[in-house]
Amino acid sequence: MIHRYIKWGVLIVLALGAPVLMPAIKTQLAMLMLMITFALTWDIMGGQMGYNSFGNIVFFGVGMYVTAVIQRDMFFTAEEYETMAGALGAIDGTDYLTGLVIGLAASIVVCVVLAAILGAGILKLRGHYFAICTLGLGIAAAEIAGGIDYIGAGSGLVTPTFPNEYLGDRGYFFYYYFLVLAVVAFLVLSWLYRGQFGLAINAIRDDEDKAEAMGIHTTRYKTMAWCISAFFLALAGGAMGNLVGFIDPSEVAFAGATYGVWMVLMAILGGKGTIWGPVIGAAVFHIMQELFWTYLFGWQRVALGALIIAIVVFFPEGIMGFVRARWPELLGHKVDHQTPESRIVP
Amino acid sequence: MKIMRMFKALPMIWAVFAVMLAAPLPAMAKVDGDTIIFGAAVSFTGKYSTNGKHTKNGYDLAVERINANGGVTVDGKSYQIAIQYYDDESTPARAAQLAEKLIQQDGIQFVLGPYGSGLTKAIAPVTEKYKIPMVEGNGASRSLFNKGYKYLFAVLSTSEQYLAEAINLAAEQAKKDGRDPSSVTVAIAVENDPFSQDIRAGVVDDANKWGMKIVIDDKLPKELNDMTATLTKVKALKPDVLVVSGHSKGAVLVVRQINEMRVNVPMLAITHCEAADVIGKFAEGAEHTLCATQWTETMSYQDDDFGTAMDYYNDFNSIYGYYPPYQAAESTASVQVFVDAIERAGSFDTEAIRSALAATDLMTFYGPVKFTEAGNNMAKPMVLRQIRDGKYVAVAPSRFASEPVVYPRPDL
Repeated sequence: MIHRYIKWGVLIVLALGAPVLMPAIKTQLAMLMLMITFALTWDIMGGQMGYNSFGNIVFFGVGMYVTAVIQRDMFFTAEEYETMAGALGAIDGTDYLTGLVIGLAASIVVCVVLAAILGAGILKLRGHYFAICTLGLGIAAAEIAGGIDYIGAGSGLVTPTFPNEYLGDRGYFFYYYFLVLAVVAFLVLSWLYRGQFGLAINAIRDDEDKAEAMGIHTTRYKTMAWCISAFFLALAGGAMGNLVGFIDPSEVAFAGATYGVWMVLMAILGGKGTIWGPVIGAAVFHIMQELFWTYLFGWQRVALGALIIAIVVFFPEGIMGFVRARWPELLGHKVDHQTPESRIVP
Repeated sequence: MKIMRMFKALPMIWAVFAVMLAAPLPAMAKVDGDTIIFGAAVSFTGKYSTNGKHTKNGYDLAVERINANGGVTVDGKSYQIAIQYYDDESTPARAAQLAEKLIQQDGIQFVLGPYGSGLTKAIAPVTEKYKIPMVEGNGASRSLFNKGYKYLFAVLSTSEQYLAEAINLAAEQAKKDGRDPSSVTVAIAVENDPFSQDIRAGVVDDANKWGMKIVIDDKLPKELNDMTATLTKVKALKPDVLVVSGHSKGAVLVVRQINEMRVNVPMLAITHCEAADVIGKFAEGAEHTLCATQWTETMSYQDDDFGTAMDYYNDFNSIYGYYPPYQAAESTASVQVFVDAIERAGSFDTEAIRSALAATDLMTFYGPVKFTEAGNNMAKPMVLRQIRDGKYVAVAPSRFASEPVVYPRPDL
């Protein structure tokens, strides 16, 4: 029992102390937490429910824009804002936090409602059709955002400058924000997977028709699953806009080719359909990527490509799947080491 | 139980992360022994990779030349210079992250700009936040200079000036033909990115000034590989001027498709001719296109590092095997301006260097550099050149024009 508390303790201390121990990489650590959130939320649909969505990035981008626009419009007129570079130095801590909190709250509402509406429409599709449709959603969202002048269109939108002098270092602020987000997502999801919701979406993955025949309201559960993804992605997007400082429609907000694909990769790498898989996958992927960028300069994309191929070929079930097959005891599976003969009780 | 077991793996991951990411930390610092290290995130891959290469070559040539000429003297001591590069992959999110990395992890105190306005827009808030001076030569969007940034300095002319001259030229030609300039019709097709949208803003402002009518106003997607829809409209509406901007890809695309579709327009004004090498790619097909340029080798500028603009042009070619487009020249000039400011500041204090940068009054092979309050360089004009017999001929503004413009463009 005590052993267990020590492990938790070590983990909590590490998570809380990481940016203090390594202040130089606190933004990277914040990104790591974001990646974990990405992988966890993708896995709700992709892993637990068997619906491969490439459109989750939509909620991330919408959350980012909604938050930024509210932060902008609450305290400034558009012209003022444009000439003040995200109100460089003109915004104090209270205003910034008020804007951020209201912005995030609004983005949650918008994203969840959007997920419910989109879900009702396209969650009737299955398999490849669903995947392709969601892929289109992401691309369409980027194009639409690039055409709306109110949110900066193709010229992008600068988010309010973080008031360092009031709120301390931005890196710490966002690290702890993303840490809490990832931890809450993890806890909420593991709680959900243990209950009826988890069983229902697993049933949908295993055989949707049978699940429906058993009386499960599949469409309701599917939409719910997407709304939960949207909830966390709205919170992730809203803060990410502030962390990056500049929102470009197709490359920061609706970045399907990077974040959109990575969230799938990370979940698969770690082992989809498990709760720790996405966490481990995100950590390994993010670390490898940063290392490639540092040590294999110029070849980082080739190395990343090689890594992805290696993942698919050698770990089709992900790291968790590999561990489960190789060392099942480690994951708490009971293995009977007795030979079949010795099992015969005389 | 299962969850408990997995905790074993997690601290291990953290440890690996910590050790490997923190490892390169002490290797770089702002001034390492007798070397001053600049930092730059440039597009080595992705859609800006061509221009990213020009940017990097421009920086590298400056480093090589300045070091060969005895380096930088600060407070009586001579230093060599070097650049720490990262690849921003042409994406703003990555660029902002790398700027953090350069400043926070590598301890870089002097940042050189990336290629392109979008990426500069992503980096500027970061350098501003850490109060680290950035000198850039490839972020021309005017929206960079109305934000009150204090640590951003750009040696190039802002983007709304790029093609505005073409509109004035069209107005002059109309007058010459006995037409009212307000009867001139303009078609605009620009990429949906910060830089090109600014080009559009400049053109629209000037067209409005003359009372010209804008008959086509299209946004081109970032995945730029077809503009037949716009060109079909051009064929039908027959505007007097067609303005196109979409970095190197856009330049290649419009010249190719205008030839394929045999679109005849009296004036075609575009950006990035040199960077995209439209003459090399299309020869005849590129004839009589008007190209906006920040700098040309025929200008009479010179400095001690490189000699005349022409010397730079030839030296660059002998090292990199191609003639430098202006993107390379302005990158080189950025390093010169930075070095000049560091020498005048006489210290490595970033505030002192920022003040020195603000007070810059320097003549380079690239042209005069003198910053406004906003950090852009207003001392150097844009030039409009026309492609004639496979050569660029300056046609506007009049004080740089070596020959009058050929207007209208002969039919294809």
